[in-house]
Amino acid sequence: MSAGLRKVLLVLLATALLVGVSFCQRSLNRDRDRLDLTRVEHLENAPPALAFTTLALGGFRGLISNALWMRATDLQDDDKFFEMVQLADWITKLEPHFVHVWLVQAWNMAYNISVKFKDFPDRWRWVKAGLELLRDDGLRFNPNETLIYRELAWFFQHKIGENLDDANMYYKAQWAKEMTTVFGPGTPNLDELIHPQTADQTNRANLLVQKYKMDPQFMKEVDEKYGPLEWRLPEAHAIYWGALGLKRAAENPTKVTPDDLITLRRIIYQSMQLDFHRGRLFKDPYADRFEFGPNLDIIPKVSESYLQSAKDDPKNADHILKAHRNFLRTAIYFLYEHNRLAESAYWYKYLCEQYPDRPLLDGRGNSIPRNLTLAEYVLSQIGVDVNETSHDKVTSAIEGMLRNAYYSLVMNHVDQYEGYKALARRTWEVYQSKMPKESLARVGLSPLEDIDREVLHRFLDPQEGVPWEQRAMLRTKLGLGPEPAVPATTNTPTARAESK
Amino acid sequence: MQRLFAIAWLTWKAAFRFRLFLVVAVLLLGAVVGLPLLIKDDGTARGFTQILLTYTLGSITALLGLSTLWLSCGTLARDVEDCQIQMVAVKPIARWQIWLGKWLGIMSLNAALLALSGGSVYALIQWRADRLPQKEQEILRNEVMVARGSARPESYEKEINAETDQQLKESLEKNPGLKADLKEVRQQIRENIKADYQLVPPGWPREWKINVGLTRQSLQGKPLYLRIKFNAVDKSASGTYRGIWRVGVPRQTPLWVSEEMSLAPDTFHEFKIEPCLDDKGVLTVGFGNLNNTTLLFPLEDGVEVLYPGGSFGLNFIRGLGIIFCWMALLAALGLAAASFLSFPVAAFLSLGVLTLALSSSTIANAVSEGTLMGYNEETNKLGHSTMDLIAIPVFRVVLRVINLAKNFSPIDSLSTGRSISWTDLGLAFAQIVLLLGGLLAAFGIIAFTRRELATAQGNQ
Repeated sequence: MSAGLRKVLLVLLATALLVGVSFCQRSLNRDRDRLDLTRVEHLENAPPALAFTTLALGGFRGLISNALWMRATDLQDDDKFFEMVQLADWITKLEPHFVHVWLVQAWNMAYNISVKFKDFPDRWRWVKAGLELLRDDGLRFNPNETLIYRELAWFFQHKIGENLDDANMYYKAQWAKEMTTVFGPGTPNLDELIHPQTADQTNRANLLVQKYKMDPQFMKEVDEKYGPLEWRLPEAHAIYWGALGLKRAAENPTKVTPDDLITLRRIIYQSMQLDFHRGRLFKDPYADRFEFGPNLDIIPKVSESYLQSAKDDPKNADHILKAHRNFLRTAIYFLYEHNRLAESAYWYKYLCEQYPDRPLLDGRGNSIPRNLTLAEYVLSQIGVDVNETSHDKVTSAIEGMLRNAYYSLVMNHVDQYEGYKALARRTWEVYQSKMPKESLARVGLSPLEDIDREVLHRFLDPQEGVPWEQRAMLRTKLGLGPEPAVPATTNTPTARAESK
Repeated sequence: MQRLFAIAWLTWKAAFRFRLFLVVAVLLLGAVVGLPLLIKDDGTARGFTQILLTYTLGSITALLGLSTLWLSCGTLARDVEDCQIQMVAVKPIARWQIWLGKWLGIMSLNAALLALSGGSVYALIQWRADRLPQKEQEILRNEVMVARGSARPESYEKEINAETDQQLKESLEKNPGLKADLKEVRQQIRENIKADYQLVPPGWPREWKINVGLTRQSLQGKPLYLRIKFNAVDKSASGTYRGIWRVGVPRQTPLWVSEEMSLAPDTFHEFKIEPCLDDKGVLTVGFGNLNNTTLLFPLEDGVEVLYPGGSFGLNFIRGLGIIFCWMALLAALGLAAASFLSFPVAAFLSLGVLTLALSSSTIANAVSEGTLMGYNEETNKLGHSTMDLIAIPVFRVVLRVINLAKNFSPIDSLSTGRSISWTDLGLAFAQIVLLLGGLLAAFGIIAFTRRELATAQGNQ
């Protein structure tokens, strides 16, 4: 056989073997995974540069990663952060399956580096860099690692959602602004993102999927199971990533420990509780900022999530049930305050049945359910002692409620307006009913209508009341007609006085 | 000089003949053009410019350094091994002229390559800066693309030392039989006294006076930056502490008062302030501690004022000047090694020395601990070895020599907008080129002069 022919045959043989091995590779990878033969898994979704680096460098990757890590630590000690994103990118890409590398790098950026900056926009950039590292890259290379889902959910719940960082309100506002570009203002219509019909809907769906790595179909499932959720708030995203972690855990049961599941469920029910407390977002048009209100529609699901968590985690069941009772106490008060009296009564009854021997009011052992009516409980919760006999204190409390009522009306929260009004009336009635008739003339309250008129007068006072836009809004809603003109004075222009 | 230039010209010709100049130039330009496409920045124009300066200048230094070392070893050792040097040595030219001519040739090549790549970096940064929005440009030109000088509060060292001595004396008089380690006692007293100059108790203010000296006239209307750092006695839940800053003296100078700031401890913060200087050029900086814990501003680097001291262009040139000094040293190192060794051994030796210099932090660690054995965290004690008796003094000398060249950080200064003064450049030239390079050159020239060139042809 001539040398040339032999070479050609060898090349053909090599090609045939390469083609053959490509067919075996997939099943070999599956077997490696199934039999747990190696700690280093094959890379999924890796860009060519990363695939080449991980294969070419082999065991030396660890050394290079260590060197980069040392440089990152040195730079951080010297407060030089501009290289950190690049170094974190290299370090994680060199060890793409080492989950703790992702967690530490992301935590470092979101927690340690962010607070090193005094300006809130700078801090937000680093919090986002931490989020993006986990969401965009960490999950890309480790789609089944529950720890990454847990950490991502934790960033949303704790770093952005809680108020430990001085910049937390800035983070929330920025996140809400970003989410508004995806969902638009108001309640998001997930169906239009699942099946977009217009160019705008398609763009927003692409933004959600490509930039924020979220699946609108799964969002809908989460919303139905745990919501309704306000997707412009971080808690909703904490619930989403926690729920996605649970889903992945269910798909890969061999890779998950019971503790991983408990942690994920805990994040979900804690986030649901946060969502109940302030899961309604509205814009204050007068102050041009976001305000929060409670999400009362979520109460049944939050209650259910507590019970489920207590069942899943028997070791901590007592603590969880205690938290459940506290949640119910708050829920009853919030419902009453928002004039949802039937629901308030339902949950009050439920609370009394679930925890019949536990006091309802802190520091008052005799406040067990059979000794307290719903109204008495609610009044006590808002700080008005039902046995209070101080005329001034009760008057002040009623005035506060009425003022809150008018402010709620200005903000267009009609339920809340009516709730506060009803609370004020109920407080007035309870006080008057407890006073002996012979004392009413001496220490009885003024007629509620008089107190109400006085509060409204002060609220609408051009000099000491709320700004003119709010006065105009309230006058319109109450049908009071336009504000009487202020008599012209010698040297104070009306417009200037108004704009104060 | 003509002979020196003739040898330098031969080195240039060799560099072109072997396409070295072309390859290195392409690599350098590739680094300058390619890196901005690959690197991930922190999302700000300032961060991008800083990382761009750091990575491009770092790559240029590394590429040029390696090529310099390689070329300097090769140009002499290969000439000797290939017997080409014999053709030169028989001409009316001294050996030292051959050696210096080669060094001059390599350095002129370096100068051309450094000018080409440095100019490209400068042009790239200016081009990108010009395309930024006005606000970003202003930040860049005030914080990065500038040469900022710095001033610190007056030192209280004399007062602290005098007070320490006084208190130590009083303690010794009160306790005549005191058998404590006096050095330790003095240190403790000193730290206590020093604390009085550094601490800001809860709810209290503190003032620093910073004299900017003769530059005060040129600072009118220009932005100053306050660079501060503090430590906290207790941890806070948020990880930050609140404080308010005031610059100037009420009723004497213009006043600038900051909004309430949320600041992290143990880190440097930099923010813009107004130049509220008094007639003598003194800036009074005040801080109000709004926390319920004591804060400590270190005397060494707690408070510093940064002011515009020159243009970025000149600063950039001075920075390149220091890099050029490093190249001069590497060229001298390579040529000195090649003066008495074959090419592979000379290259190996030069790279070994370079590695040693780059790992000087390990040496510095051993010197500061006084042992090679390191610190045992379990026993809480430093290890000890008989080798320490020899190794530590040797390390100390080696470290001092390395630091003569390493104690300059032009890339760091350029990326943080800090001024590299002409004095710094002059010092770098004196220490790196004249002293270290001169010693290597003297050694290399002597070795090369004494070398029997005809015996170096090996087995060819």
